Amino acid sequence: MENFNTVNSSLLLTAIFTPILAGLILLIGRNLPRSFATGFALIAFTLPALITVWFFVPCAESFGSVTQYLQTNIWGFCFGLNGISLPLIAMTALVGLAAGIKALNQEVESRNAYLGLILFMLGGTLGVFGTNNIIGFYFFHEFALIPTFVLTLFWGGEGRRSAAMQMAIYLTVGAMLSLAGIVIAMQTVGLGIEDATFEQLFLAFHQSQLPLPAASTAITLFGFGTLASLFPFHSWAAPGYSAAPTPVSMIHAGALKKFGLYGIIMIVAATMKIGTGTLSDWFLWCSIANVFIVGLICFGQRDLKQMLSWSSVAHMGPIFIGIWVCATQGVAEGLDAAIFLMVAHGLSCAALFLLANAVRTRTGTYRFDELGGLAQHTPVLSAFFIAATMASIGLPGFGNFWGELGVFLSLRNEPFILQVLVVSTVVISAIYALRAVASVFFGKVSSAIEARHAYAPIADLNGAERTATILLLGASLVIGFIPSLITNRTNPEAQALARIAQPKPFKAVPVKESNRN
Amino acid sequence: MTSPMATTELALKLLAPRNADWASILPEISVAALALLCLIQAMFLNKKLNWLIPTTARIGLGLVILMSLIPFTAWNPCSGVATTTFAGLLQLSDVTCGFRLTFLISALLTSFVATRFLEERHAVVADYHHVVLVITAAFMLLTQSNHFVSLFVSLETAAVGLYILVGYLRKSDASLEAGVKYLVAGGLSSALLLMGIVLVYGSLGAITPDSLNFDQIAKALAAGHGTVLTLTGVALILGGAAFKLGAFPFQTWIPDVYQGAPTPTTAILGTASKAAGAFTLFLLVTGPFQPLAPKLAPVLAITTILTLLAGNLAALAATDIKRVIALSGVSHAGFILAAITGILVAGENGDYDTNLLAYYLMAYTIGSFLVAQALISIPTAEDHRRPLLQLRGLIRRSPILAGALGFGISSLAGVPPSVGFFAKLFILILLAKVKLWWVFGVALVSVAVSIHYYFAIIREAVVRPSVDNETIETIEVPATAKFIIGALSAATIIGGLLFFV
Repeated sequence: MENFNTVNSSLLLTAIFTPILAGLILLIGRNLPRSFATGFALIAFTLPALITVWFFVPCAESFGSVTQYLQTNIWGFCFGLNGISLPLIAMTALVGLAAGIKALNQEVESRNAYLGLILFMLGGTLGVFGTNNIIGFYFFHEFALIPTFVLTLFWGGEGRRSAAMQMAIYLTVGAMLSLAGIVIAMQTVGLGIEDATFEQLFLAFHQSQLPLPAASTAITLFGFGTLASLFPFHSWAAPGYSAAPTPVSMIHAGALKKFGLYGIIMIVAATMKIGTGTLSDWFLWCSIANVFIVGLICFGQRDLKQMLSWSSVAHMGPIFIGIWVCATQGVAEGLDAAIFLMVAHGLSCAALFLLANAVRTRTGTYRFDELGGLAQHTPVLSAFFIAATMASIGLPGFGNFWGELGVFLSLRNEPFILQVLVVSTVVISAIYALRAVASVFFGKVSSAIEARHAYAPIADLNGAERTATILLLGASLVIGFIPSLITNRTNPEAQALARIAQPKPFKAVPVKESNRN
Repeated sequence: MTSPMATTELALKLLAPRNADWASILPEISVAALALLCLIQAMFLNKKLNWLIPTTARIGLGLVILMSLIPFTAWNPCSGVATTTFAGLLQLSDVTCGFRLTFLISALLTSFVATRFLEERHAVVADYHHVVLVITAAFMLLTQSNHFVSLFVSLETAAVGLYILVGYLRKSDASLEAGVKYLVAGGLSSALLLMGIVLVYGSLGAITPDSLNFDQIAKALAAGHGTVLTLTGVALILGGAAFKLGAFPFQTWIPDVYQGAPTPTTAILGTASKAAGAFTLFLLVTGPFQPLAPKLAPVLAITTILTLLAGNLAALAATDIKRVIALSGVSHAGFILAAITGILVAGENGDYDTNLLAYYLMAYTIGSFLVAQALISIPTAEDHRRPLLQLRGLIRRSPILAGALGFGISSLAGVPPSVGFFAKLFILILLAKVKLWWVFGVALVSVAVSIHYYFAIIREAVVRPSVDNETIETIEVPATAKFIIGALSAATIIGGLLFFV
């Protein structure tokens, strides 16, 4: 295939398979000495991050195209990146590195197996975004999900059993639905299951103009929607993240969940053309419910990690709406903003999970009513937590700002009520997130914390936690200040998708709908 | 003018089996010979050499499996067309060759699973093997039947064998009770089947020369000769097959019999016997009763939905592992029925993979035997009483057995990327393609429900710690069991990966 042997394509393979091989070695060598395992795992966590960041360096292009290569014949897999998956794989690698630093800093039973499984999860998630063919995309997702179950079951916190069961039910059904829809689509255009890439499926559909049964588009959409916690199939997500060990929540909520969104973009939006029919309306209303209803659920949470988990479900809403507006209305900025938000949300949500766990290790609780005034003992933790909260609610300077703003702007031609509903996400998330910050870090120091502090002084963030947080928030700041890093890559793809989406009829000056702004 | 004598002679000559006919059932003959060999060994061998009997059976079965895999032979023609043998009694096609393998593999696994179990309970190993082999040969013939006589004879041969196997532990009340229950229920189903055959025979007898032959029945029905009487007969015949499969409303015998039967027999009932029911139903609705497809499809679809609901809802409430597995088997029967319904709706030249059923049953067989092997290896006083609590802390008593349960149950539940996931997926794809959305929806819901009760087993075995002050007795797992567990666990993953590569 073209550019088969470029430096960059080998680097991509290295990024995907280093964590997997390292994970295998750590799983087999359960009795390897601790220092060796630590160093080994650290290298495996760092390498993908370095490689994917390298892809963004301007001179990387001189070692072979970054986003335009195919590499086939590796056990039927076809590795490669495109403008959409490149930012996502980089985000995954950074979140993975931060999660790895956190995991190395934890004291757990059978540490090598724990690290090995997290490396598997990371490698699988990198593979999801690093493959070009649909079956590889699926395979790596399952490859990452199985360790997620095992990690949650064995190393998870409160409620892990029911959470793991709920996750197993929803994710199995979601995987069945989406895969069934895709296989029907492939058979409709006569493509083999083994080697079809996203591009081939797309081209086959657009050349043959064969109609796909609306029902199979629907099952694919809601299958992927389940995996990406689209309302009303979201209820597995929050308990799942809450019960999982922190590095697992970081990778799962931050990176792995984007599998479903990526699938919706690449398959449902691009190939199946959800168009403007009933299905797209359903998609829109479910997305709005993600913003609004799940946002209200966040209000009701009395537990920090629960609240973060629910808010990470609520933040999927604007992303869905960005995809919707591009796929049905032909507004390319919607998809740009959605991908931007996917990256930024991954970074900020991972940072919040990390810091929430730091709160827990210091105070022994996640409950708001037992927390309070922590800022007096841990100023650095508080500062970082506030920064991460600001990032997640879309303060300018952080990446989330451009993502959310972009989604709102892309709705400029939509009805006013829709704009109001979507913009309300900022208000809702600001209220519950800031309230959480206030009740954890400010106010009177709670008696529980006081008692604990008297027993053993509460320490501030340690070096590892600081490094991991700075990494995540730093990356969010970088894309916040230089958004073109991402938009330059995604915009051509988004433009292409918007063109093939429902061709937008020329809109005359609105006469009746004067309430548009 | 020829004399009547000469006509009879001519007819006998035409009907007499040719050499090619015998060659086409060589695998079946070999299995039957192997069954006899087991008995002969038991008669003449010294007691010390008794271990030779299962070994012979295993090697023999292995050879038969290899033999039936050889392509372009009389017994595996790979020609793409069906060949009729024994004057229309049997019919061999590529699909039935695949079915044959399911039974052979199931018999081989039974031999591995059963031997130690029987020895521990001082039961005779040789007879058990003999009966299993006879049943296997009968099932292999059953799926090739092209005539109701051969169908009924092979089905009854297998049924008698199964009655023996269910009541095999003569000192166990539970086993005997299950044997009687199975005998009564099985007798009823045989009666239904026979009455159905008679009705079809009688109502079409004036029209066709041999109204027991599948091809002729199909022709007569296609020409519109079916009366109400014929339809009643068809319904009764399908009921008889549904009994073997364990489909609604013939699923009520399943939990009691599965629970009481010795665990290796439960495995056979759940795999080979269920597969036989599935294949028979498949052959009947795609063969002689194909012309009735528009009438049969809705009935089958409704039965599918009811079977799925009955199995899953009942399994939710069960607290005994063998009962959970039995009732989940009803749910699997629902999936098999869903596949048959889909195939029926898709039509003769429909766009579906003919190996769909065999793939599903293979996945189910792998999962069932993993669970059976794990259960058999857990020491217990009473084989028929296995509450979920018994599994508590299994991972600390024997990680291998907990792993076996983990792999087996995950595959049965259809957790990706196990072979069970893809088996269910292909059925769902077929249902979506033929637009049976109601069945599709119920199947999907039952996947979700089934994960709930399957997961309860894994939860007890893997996650729940055993009571702290209780001393943990580790379980010794014999080498053969380890081998079977390893091979089947690998098969759950490799079978799934086959889809990717």
